[in-house]
Amino acid sequence: MTPRRSSVRLDEEAALDLVRDGMTVAIGGFNTAAHPMAIVRGLVRRGVRGLRVVGGTIAGLELDLLIGAGVADEVVTSSVTGEALASVGPFFRNAAEAGAVRVWESDEGILYAGLRAAGQGLPSLPWKAGVGSSLPELNPDLRPYEDPITGEQLLAVAAIEVDIAFIHLSRADVYGLGQHTGSGFGDRMLHRAAKRTVLTAEKIVPNEQIRARAIETSIPYADGVVAAPWGAHPFSSPGHYLVDEQHLAEYLAAANAARKGDDGPFDAYLQRYVLGPSSHVEYLEQIGIGRLLALEEWG
Amino acid sequence: MTERPYSNGELLACYFASQIVNGDRVFVGANLPVPRAGNLLAHLTHGPDIKVSIGMVSTNLLHEPQLEPFKFSTDHRMSRWAEAIVIHNDIFDAPRKISDLFFVGGIQIDRFGNTNLIGLRREGGGLTLRGPGTLGTASMAYYAKRYYVYSPTHDPRVFVERCDYISVFGHGDGGDHRARLGLDRFNAGPAAVVTPLAILDFATPDHRMRIQSLHPGVELEDVQASTGFELAVPDELPLTPEPTSEQLRLLRERIDRDGLLRKA
Repeated sequence: MTPRRSSVRLDEEAALDLVRDGMTVAIGGFNTAAHPMAIVRGLVRRGVRGLRVVGGTIAGLELDLLIGAGVADEVVTSSVTGEALASVGPFFRNAAEAGAVRVWESDEGILYAGLRAAGQGLPSLPWKAGVGSSLPELNPDLRPYEDPITGEQLLAVAAIEVDIAFIHLSRADVYGLGQHTGSGFGDRMLHRAAKRTVLTAEKIVPNEQIRARAIETSIPYADGVVAAPWGAHPFSSPGHYLVDEQHLAEYLAAANAARKGDDGPFDAYLQRYVLGPSSHVEYLEQIGIGRLLALEEWG
Repeated sequence: MTERPYSNGELLACYFASQIVNGDRVFVGANLPVPRAGNLLAHLTHGPDIKVSIGMVSTNLLHEPQLEPFKFSTDHRMSRWAEAIVIHNDIFDAPRKISDLFFVGGIQIDRFGNTNLIGLRREGGGLTLRGPGTLGTASMAYYAKRYYVYSPTHDPRVFVERCDYISVFGHGDGGDHRARLGLDRFNAGPAAVVTPLAILDFATPDHRMRIQSLHPGVELEDVQASTGFELAVPDELPLTPEPTSEQLRLLRERIDRDGLLRKA
């Protein structure tokens, strides 16, 4: 009998089953784009606790939601931002000021050095920028040292080992071959630093389509693939749809109310969009097809 | 202040444009209208060979009639301009290949050009105010040939004697501190500090901040009163050059149709 190639297709519940309390989980995407939101909402719905969450080097409000919902104990990123909509995520700001979340204080180059070290199986890698700054005072994983060859002062950046990376992209096949439309931001580095990678894809495509443009395969051989059309909503998904600014404004209003001590709007937000819907499909039904189609990229 | 036929945003965009030479690599962010306009103005006036990285693409925009602004740096619609795709982590494998100059902001900026995007210090540790975070500023400012500190506000809360935390090291404690740490390999510290009142620099023996030029209509006393430490003042204090009519036309017709600079 001819051996048969194994599919790594997962449904979203099976993907969420891979996460345990206290793990280090990377959440792909960058700023207001391409976050694996079906997974992010699933982690909140399941009440996962104590995660160390590695974001894009500039993370977006998906990390703010994970802090607000009590999922994240520590964030590894240089910023949690809504860019033009909010320079600092409200829950992140609150938790950082109250000391309720640990912040792996860094710069983007430093963060990539830590991820690169993990990918290379090294305890640390050097980085120069940050020497003389307050970053080593705030982050014990950054240690000043002298280069043994030249004596130059450098920072040793401890490896950022990731248990599982979740990455949202344009298309993937059932064998775990993923292709971004556009740059893919820093997603490749999260994949390289992670023991396991699970993709959520706008579309599952045949292996033949992957092969036809093999140079576009940005994440080869992920460990799992989940179908998640509109899976970055309310963030943009390059090649597919724009940021849902109206939804993010609703989120920010709720998060800002919570920052001022009124949890009502955020509880209602969670109930309506995160805890109420039992799946990604139910979430999309809650958002509504008219709203989704209005986010057309080239309209 | 007397009425001027241009906004502060336009004045500063023209200043930034004057700092860029043909052939430079520049990185254009989405959310900083003044540096964005300065980069693009240099490109259209005297920089046909400027390598523009904007969002996640690299391009040449000379023949684009409209350089529409984007609200989000990740907006995929910039890809229609792409000559090359910028994979974000690749930037940090060779930062000098992406940008010769860079712009750094700060919730605090101190006498020696150190900047703080981290937050305000609480007595006994922690933060009373969480800032936006360091982003890529420490790395890009280290590698740039020239970097500028840009602050859209000039007041004593921002311009402080000493930053609570330092996200980008300027001259540290002053003197040769930057060189002692080996941070002078690619640049000698911030080239200038650009504010709505003045251009400032560190051309003093101990690298303390000095006024380089006053914007038209601004008095020396305004700048000193808006700064939380004593500024060095040169014997001759020139005015920041005003925009030419051609610069204003390019800004208003091709770079800033929506008038973000006129509000800046």
